[in-house]
Amino acid sequence: MNQKEFLAVVNPIQDRLYRLARRLLVSEDEAQDATQEVLIKLWSYRKKIKKLKSVEAFAVTMTKNHCYDKLKLKSSSNLQLVHSNYEDTHYNTVRQTEAQDSVDWVLKLMNELPEQQRLILHMRDIEQYSNTEIAQELDLNETAVRVSLSRARKTIREELLKKHNYGIK
Amino acid sequence: MELNRIKNLLELYFEGETSLEQEAVLQNYFTSDEVAPELESYKPVFAAFAQVQQDGFTRKIELPQDKPIRYWIPIAASILLCIGLFLTFNQKQESDHDLGTYKDPEVAALKTKQALFMMGNFVNESTGNLNKLEAFEETTNQILK
Repeated sequence: MNQKEFLAVVNPIQDRLYRLARRLLVSEDEAQDATQEVLIKLWSYRKKIKKLKSVEAFAVTMTKNHCYDKLKLKSSSNLQLVHSNYEDTHYNTVRQTEAQDSVDWVLKLMNELPEQQRLILHMRDIEQYSNTEIAQELDLNETAVRVSLSRARKTIREELLKKHNYGIK
Repeated sequence: MELNRIKNLLELYFEGETSLEQEAVLQNYFTSDEVAPELESYKPVFAAFAQVQQDGFTRKIELPQDKPIRYWIPIAASILLCIGLFLTFNQKQESDHDLGTYKDPEVAALKTKQALFMMGNFVNESTGNLNKLEAFEETTNQILK
């Protein structure tokens, strides 16, 4: 497998890997770093890649583990980084700014979910994996995935409504 | 009617009971401009998902290029080794054949005689040279007298 073939395999999934890393690590820079490292690791496994049923599943597992390692390292070195530098692009009117604020709020809520729920919600609602795929990936049964998903969505809804009705009710 | 369907789907959605297709319907509805005012508060959720879906890996990756493995080096080395061994053994075999032996006994005897005569001549020649040693003896005798 040469570089060209490898890039062709990796291109369609690298954005997904990045988003997953971003969800778990929160920081944009760290997520870019992590994705890069995972891709390079993947490159070193390129001989085995051909035999894999799904490169994507393999890469997702790798990214997940890589991010968990990074998080463990971070918590053990007692460093707490909280990034919420969501890019503010061309939203001029007040109304659009408000909309963007609520979106940022949702993203923040997502990142405050327990790790497992966050991951499941991300895989389902952003990457559109089926529950079966998620269950396989996380080594859970499908019922557990569904329950976590429901909990995660409800938490976001409650927090969102709380904020929405703040000062009204 | 449409609104009711969306509300139903939304309920299912929060129970985790919707299919991916149904979730796509919700996603479409909430990112459109025609969201009912009473459902307005759910808009940011789907807007957030849509926004994150646009995120991507932006770095250019540089893959470490590993050195090409030179397969021909060991092959060339073993071929050279084979040639070397072949040549040395071949030479030895040739020298085995030529030991200077004679098949005819008469010729052999003659040749041996010749060789021995030659040796004898050499010996005689060298003993002739020994005569010079007498000069030493004479001088020593003179000194010792």
